[in-house]
Amino acid sequence: MEGTEVLEKKQQNSPGDDIRTTNYNILGKIFHGAGIYAVAALFLVAGIILQALGVINNFLTAQNMLNIVDAVSMLGIVAVGMAFVTYSGHYADMSVPTTMALTGIIAVQMLQYGFFPAIAAAVAAGLLIGLINAVAIGKFKANPIIWTLAVNYVTLGVIRLVWVNKQIYPDMIAKSQWASDVFDNIYRFRFFNKIGLPVVYMIILVILLNFIMKKTKFGQQLKITGAARKASEFSGVNVERVIGLSFVICALTATLGGLTVTSLSRVGAYYNGAGYDFKAVTAIVIGGMTLAGGRGSIIGVLGGVLIIGLMNNIMTLLGVGTFSQDMIRGIIFIVVVGINAKSLRTLGRDDA
Amino acid sequence: MNSNDIGIALSMQGVSKRFPGTLAVDNVDFDVRAGEVHALIGENGAGKSTLMKIIAGSFNDYTGKIFIGSRETELHSPVHSKKNGIEMIYQELSLALPLSISENVLVGRLPKKGIFLDKEKIYKETKRCLKMVGMEHLDPDIEIEEISQHESQLVEIGKALGNNPCILVMDEPTSALSREEVERLFEIIRSLKKRGLAIIYISHHLPEIFEIADRVTVMRDGKKIDTRDIGSVTSEELVQMMVGQTVKDFYHHESHAQSEQRLRVENLSRYGFFHNVSFEAYKGEVLGICGLSGAGRSELARVLVGLDDRNGGRVFLDDKEIKPKNMAHALKEGIAYLTENRKTEGLALRLNVKENILAGIIPELVYRGVYHEADGFPKMNELIDELSIYPPDPERIVGNLSGGNQQKVLLAKWMACDPKVLILDEPTRGVDIGAKMTIHESIEQLAKNGSTIILISSDLPELVSLSNRVLIMRQGHLIHEMEHSGCSEESVLLAANGEGIC
Amino acid sequence: MLNKPNSKKSLLVAIDRNRIFILFTIVFLFMALFAPRFFNVFNLTTIMRTSAMNATVAIGFTVILIIGQLDLSIGTIITFTAIIGLGLKEYIGFGGSIPVAIIAGGLIGLINGLLVAKAKINSFIVTLGMMTALQGAIYTFTGGNSVSLSTPDAFAVSDWLALMIFPLVTPRVIITLVLIAASAIFMKRTRIGRNFYMVGGNRQTAWLAGIDTDKYTIAAFIMSGVTAGIGGVLFAMESAAATLNMGNSSLMYVISAAIIGGTAMSGGKGGIFKTFVAILMLDVLYNGIILFGLGNEVKIFIAGIILASVVLYEAYVSYKHEKVIGQRPELMKELEVQNQA
Repeated sequence: MEGTEVLEKKQQNSPGDDIRTTNYNILGKIFHGAGIYAVAALFLVAGIILQALGVINNFLTAQNMLNIVDAVSMLGIVAVGMAFVTYSGHYADMSVPTTMALTGIIAVQMLQYGFFPAIAAAVAAGLLIGLINAVAIGKFKANPIIWTLAVNYVTLGVIRLVWVNKQIYPDMIAKSQWASDVFDNIYRFRFFNKIGLPVVYMIILVILLNFIMKKTKFGQQLKITGAARKASEFSGVNVERVIGLSFVICALTATLGGLTVTSLSRVGAYYNGAGYDFKAVTAIVIGGMTLAGGRGSIIGVLGGVLIIGLMNNIMTLLGVGTFSQDMIRGIIFIVVVGINAKSLRTLGRDDA
Repeated sequence: MNSNDIGIALSMQGVSKRFPGTLAVDNVDFDVRAGEVHALIGENGAGKSTLMKIIAGSFNDYTGKIFIGSRETELHSPVHSKKNGIEMIYQELSLALPLSISENVLVGRLPKKGIFLDKEKIYKETKRCLKMVGMEHLDPDIEIEEISQHESQLVEIGKALGNNPCILVMDEPTSALSREEVERLFEIIRSLKKRGLAIIYISHHLPEIFEIADRVTVMRDGKKIDTRDIGSVTSEELVQMMVGQTVKDFYHHESHAQSEQRLRVENLSRYGFFHNVSFEAYKGEVLGICGLSGAGRSELARVLVGLDDRNGGRVFLDDKEIKPKNMAHALKEGIAYLTENRKTEGLALRLNVKENILAGIIPELVYRGVYHEADGFPKMNELIDELSIYPPDPERIVGNLSGGNQQKVLLAKWMACDPKVLILDEPTRGVDIGAKMTIHESIEQLAKNGSTIILISSDLPELVSLSNRVLIMRQGHLIHEMEHSGCSEESVLLAANGEGIC
Repeated sequence: MLNKPNSKKSLLVAIDRNRIFILFTIVFLFMALFAPRFFNVFNLTTIMRTSAMNATVAIGFTVILIIGQLDLSIGTIITFTAIIGLGLKEYIGFGGSIPVAIIAGGLIGLINGLLVAKAKINSFIVTLGMMTALQGAIYTFTGGNSVSLSTPDAFAVSDWLALMIFPLVTPRVIITLVLIAASAIFMKRTRIGRNFYMVGGNRQTAWLAGIDTDKYTIAAFIMSGVTAGIGGVLFAMESAAATLNMGNSSLMYVISAAIIGGTAMSGGKGGIFKTFVAILMLDVLYNGIILFGLGNEVKIFIAGIILASVVLYEAYVSYKHEKVIGQRPELMKELEVQNQA
């Protein structure tokens, strides 16, 4: 605490020589950090008003709130992992959709040897993709978007070559009824008949990954690497490993997402996970993480995920069709990012 | 000196430019005559870069009047400036790397025949521009990324000259040039002067100014202090005007070298960069390394800290052989390296002072797997005080600090690591005199505390006065060693140029 | 003194720069020699026809990459404009619906461009949002149904576009080739075209030289929208139908072609003609794979492998290059002398 005292004293010593940081006080900091939750609260208030006006029903019920979280839990799982890639300054991991599909399909295939071998094989596959990305991007500095797009395609090709247009079903392949049931429950198990397992995964991941990003050596080094790779390397950070690790984390959460999606759909197929790449980027960016790297937080990304959930829920209750929802979501996405970029610039920071 | 005084080429009256929170240029009157070199000097943050950018047309919201000849003009965009015959040569390279030399040289004015480009004319015109800087042997069709940095710098100068400017603004044009190339550049400047060009020359390097300028204007805190004929001013006076107070001769030397050996390098090589370099350094010693740019000084440093692989040789630290694989490893062993490229390799400009200073000691602040940032605060605050980083606010974004303060933050990062051997590569390049003095004091202090400092610098007075010994590198070889007592600026410089040694 | 031409190095540079022509020749010769029923007029015409849409779309996309941006929305622009082109025909005829569709593509590009250049939002985000929004719009307008025309005049247009005038050449192929030739010459041989390269190569330099970088950025996005529109509309007219996922595979296809063709993601490098040859190469490859009796899955796998290899190769080359930047030739010579002794 001694440190903060000195810090405050120092701020008093330099009275108002520059508008930018002297106004950047603790209150402002809290607001800036909570910015995305303020937006979420706005959506919540909008929902409540709409309900009060009688336009929509059953918005503010415990069940509906649970539904909202439940609906976005898988997106949350994938997004908080991919957030590490964004944070490291490498935009996004476009290989996530087929990583999800591949790990899911491998798990189903391996259920013939039992549940645990299935999970182990899926994790191994996810890890392999993560490591391939880690080497190509971390070590050889391949362009992250193009490289992961290519990996996405290769993986898709592998799935379709090996399981030639076949869909495989867990209950038909599993070694035992038990294995099949457990696999089924990866998605379906509910605590107190209410809280779904994916929500629990998401919450655990948020807590764990937030800790890793903010409170560990890796997290702090990742921040500096994301903000300035070269300077980080010249500060004694093993940037190749740090960047590589962020892709591995992303692949592993995608594996969990893949298992969950496959458990939900009860079929291993190449299209499981389709669209999760862009959905995750949307959540990450709405959550205040900028593509420039080194800025944002896992808690913010969770906020972005929840906003998407609230938005979808309100629109569904309003009777807006799924497709129109896409349209509105795209527009809101651009608007939110535009506002964020502008506020960063007026704060004297660089572009988003 | 102004025998060929033809008239005023450009004059500014009461020009000001405000940034959020500061008045960067404050009511400045400035003029430059045709056929003269007018030097503009001042510490970093004095406003000379901003003044130059106003002339370049980078701002459309300055106040005050600007006259080209006798006609009042508004320089609100780069196009306006170009139309008025103003050309700029920037300190940092402003060429497009993936594009060819000719496209860079003729950017915005590629000759056309009808609607299509005139290839023949492009070739000829590029050659003409290159010839002005003695670079006519370059093929106009190869890309900038294929030529060396020195060549690029000269190509850039050729690009500016090719536009037949009436007014030429040069911002530290010699910072990336070798001594021979500087001589060539000065030849060019003299001939341009004869042709009646008005040249504004910005530099930190006072000897250069005395060599090339006719008049000199000093700026401080956004204001013009004075304009003087070069013949009627001494360098002490100029320094005094820049700093605003009398400076004592701040180059004083105190040896803290101990007899205990700290570092021993045996036959170290990185093929193509430097070969068979051997030397040793002692505790508390400041070991200078001098050489022209490209002599292999920075490359040697990079191998010592594991940033590049070596091809042969051995390195001993406290009599224990070390083979750092990367910088993290070298830091653990106790060797740190302060890079010469502050902005690209040194600092994370988008992060704040705190995060930058603590960047090197993140592993030290980890306790049971958890990163305790606050544990580093006492040390950080101490360093902010010691180096008088201004403003002393750890939350300030580094990119918004002045150059001198950025450099102090960079130095603070390495002082926080408390290394056994600290390699400083151009620690005071492009910083103002105040910051320079602070940095020199810190170097002395570090040596006094027993650290070994390897000082790589092109600033000869700095090198000569701070170092216990000076090693001379030339073209990838270590060719000479000089004791403090035996070196002067001249002798070191001659040695670095391969002269004066039998 | 410093820059002695190194013949071995410049040969490698020349090979690398023209790698797409070499690749194309190899792939083409291989298929011509080994693939059954490959080398005949009918099949080659098919290849030209299938490549027409992506080749058109790739024009604008290459310009986007040259200027250092990214456009993820081209796939949905293709579908969107195709649906407008066919859907409005009933009301205003092809004479009205085609211009409207192409202008719509241009307007989408304009919005993208304004958001990137003026609002300063990263193009990855802008076009990602645009992609999502357009996808929704497509489904909303069509109610989830494909648009197809079965009137005689629509079939007449469709037949005309596919008419084989000469071997390999149909009217739609001619339109495509003319567009490619015109834009390739424009980018290579005019000052405005070169300015796109300068903006992508170094934005600051371009701005200081008086090039309006914002305008060029917006223009690039408009070009991308317009060429995606033309590609989409013509394809839909020839098949007299617009399906809701017709543009989906194009994004990957066009990105692959541009990168394999040597256009850099970092901007300032590449060319429309090279992208076109890369498109042809991919189509020859896919065509051959199908002729060998292999399925779509092989095609996807090989496409991925090719793109991955090219990206990795480029990354590896610059990784290696970084290690020797600044090497002094005279020191290397000295080393050789030592080794010989």
